[in-house]
Amino acid sequence: MNPTVSASGLSLHYGRTRALDEVELRLTPGVTGLLGPNGAGKTTLLRVLATAVPADRGSFTVLGHDPRTARGRQEVRRHLGYLPQTPGFHPGFTAFEFVDYVAILKELTDRRARHREVRRVLEEVGLGEVRGRRIRKLSGGMRQRVALAAALVGDPGFLVLDEPTVGLDPEQRMRFRELIARAGEGRTVLLSTHQTEDVAMLCRRVLVMAGGTVRFDGTPAELTARAAGRVWSSTERDPGAKAGWRTGTGTFRNVGDPPAGADLAEATLEDGYLLVLDGMGAGVAA
Amino acid sequence: MSAVLSPAPPAADRAAAAGGARAVLALARFEARKLLSSAPVVLAFVVYIGWIGWRTRQSFAGYPALQDADRSTQAGPLLVGMAVLLSANLAVLRSRRHGTEDQFAVLVVPRGRRTAAHVLALLPVVLLTAGCVTGQFTWEALKPGAIGHGSPAELLAGPLTVLLFGAVGVLLARLLPVPSAAPLLSVCFLFVFVLGAFSFQGEGTRWLAPVVSEASTTPLPSDLIGRPAAWHALYLAGAALCVAFLAVLVSGARGLTVKAGVALTLALAVTGAVAQAGGDSPALTAARERATVTPEKEQTCVERAGSRYCAFPEWVPRTAQWATVVDRVRSLTGPAAHDRQLLVRQRIDARYGPAADSAIPPATRRDQVTVGTAWGGNRVPEFSTAVAAVLVAGSEAASDTMCDGRMVTVMWLSLSWQDDPVDALRRVRLDDSVSGAAIVLSPTDPLTMTEGQTDVVRRLLQRPLAGVAAKVRAHWAELTSPKVTTARVAELLGVAGPGKADSCA
Repeated sequence: MNPTVSASGLSLHYGRTRALDEVELRLTPGVTGLLGPNGAGKTTLLRVLATAVPADRGSFTVLGHDPRTARGRQEVRRHLGYLPQTPGFHPGFTAFEFVDYVAILKELTDRRARHREVRRVLEEVGLGEVRGRRIRKLSGGMRQRVALAAALVGDPGFLVLDEPTVGLDPEQRMRFRELIARAGEGRTVLLSTHQTEDVAMLCRRVLVMAGGTVRFDGTPAELTARAAGRVWSSTERDPGAKAGWRTGTGTFRNVGDPPAGADLAEATLEDGYLLVLDGMGAGVAA
Repeated sequence: MSAVLSPAPPAADRAAAAGGARAVLALARFEARKLLSSAPVVLAFVVYIGWIGWRTRQSFAGYPALQDADRSTQAGPLLVGMAVLLSANLAVLRSRRHGTEDQFAVLVVPRGRRTAAHVLALLPVVLLTAGCVTGQFTWEALKPGAIGHGSPAELLAGPLTVLLFGAVGVLLARLLPVPSAAPLLSVCFLFVFVLGAFSFQGEGTRWLAPVVSEASTTPLPSDLIGRPAAWHALYLAGAALCVAFLAVLVSGARGLTVKAGVALTLALAVTGAVAQAGGDSPALTAARERATVTPEKEQTCVERAGSRYCAFPEWVPRTAQWATVVDRVRSLTGPAAHDRQLLVRQRIDARYGPAADSAIPPATRRDQVTVGTAWGGNRVPEFSTAVAAVLVAGSEAASDTMCDGRMVTVMWLSLSWQDDPVDALRRVRLDDSVSGAAIVLSPTDPLTMTEGQTDVVRRLLQRPLAGVAAKVRAHWAELTSPKVTTARVAELLGVAGPGKADSCA
């Protein structure tokens, strides 16, 4: 399958900080999760792919278009839907107006067709009933859905979502997962998140980033498999574990190299993620 | 022979450019809707339209000279312009204020084109202003007493000011992207352009202001006004478009078209600014001199009921109104004055331009009455007084020094036939009083009424017209003889005399 997005040797420095370091990437249709600790370079990678900032070195293409030229960049943008980490809204606009405004900026110029498309995406994110309501009167979850609708308008082939479920309550998060899963049908979605359960539930593929590089690229099952036989329970925190924490039952769950005879537990995607990071800090206090 | 052909742009480029242009128009339409519904603009239009209605109902006392009425449309749009400046500025800053810059930066329409859309979004509000200006002017033109010709260039000044202010709002947002900048600039504009805190001195600089209204109580013939209205419109249009192109340029659109647009519109603005600062031409100065000193060479005369009315061509239709006044006054006089053939000549002092308000010396020629270029309101009793004074004293110069009982006859002739004579008495006096001594206005030098004359006139005006008129006709010779006292006039006309003797000192 031809990749929608193909990146090679992407690097970006902020002063002496290597935000991206020789990133190699091939994204195909479906939802790809992007995991990594804070400062791993996830948002920077998304911003580069979304053409918000140019890379220092390396190249990438989106649907065959190279954003290093002005015309290529325009073409990439024509096929792009971008939901930034903290999307802004024009509070005085209605949900319809805001998405309509974004649609115009995506060069959807036929008024009737554009309005039909705006109504479609607002229906898709479940805001059809409140499309005439001003954004200042919408809840946080609804606003986030407005932002998703804005990213979806125009049916982009490549959707970049930067931590879209942050700050949402569990019910809203579940609803958002449904939306993202639907969005991933037939298009390429790159989903940056701190929520391993989002990845487990949604993604066909997962990337783990740390220190500006991609540390893992595979399926969620493969990431989980990284931890197979490396998770165990104990009554005390095992000092040899790379990470360990007390669970709700009072026992300790340890991740690392188990001692002989350890009470092995079933590995999860989060365990695999922690092992990929290999002690690079994931907030796993005892 | 060979020819070098530049390659045609690829079809994809042309399609992209067309799509981009359509997107700019779509965005402009969206922004225009937002601009027109923004609170400052709505409020400004409500006030502006209300002001037009309130002002135009009574402006020019119902007798507008359209060459002045066109200028009177220019002040109102300043308010709309300031509202547009504020709203356009906030619209451009909207993305920054609400944190959508990042989202929008990766969309297809780039920042420069978004700025272009903000500029284009000004056009509907400019057209609406033009509609208001046209409505106001048409209202004036449709008044039955309207005369003269308006200038399209003068009418353009208001809408172009709105365009200029709006473009300044857009540019300001790109240069200084803080929400407080536009309100501060609006306050500065308010003080400079509306309240006149900074006076633009000299012919060169005063025309740099968007509106140079030059209000005058004495309308001049169109061809003597000498305002560089067309150059000023060019200056405003050039400045507005230059600011608009600059806003697009500083937004990142550095294409040849934009740079050429800046250069061309700057050239237009400079051309207009230089040309409008040229001052009055020698031909205009000579024409003004002729119209002031020898108006008879410029005027058209018509005969009406034995009198001759000479007016500058634009005022000829108004001679009928003057004739009505002359006829009414003359109908009340004694037989000796009934057949007097008056020459009513329009006189102006045009030498100092449209803003000057110079006094006109009384005519020395017997039976000549001066009439000004303004009409309606107080101008009617003032002219009526001048007619009566000439019929009684013989000439304007002679009536100027009149300090005797004839003043009573003059004022009664002037006022008694009017709808509300006592109110007309109040209006024709400088201090708006109906008692005591006062100066009485006329088209040339003012006359004076003593306290005693005022009392007698007031008493006469409260009497039935026919009864007094009969006595005036009967005693005309004595009433109009020099040195007749006010007491004697009162006695002849059958009212109580003044408490004390005449004193004009």
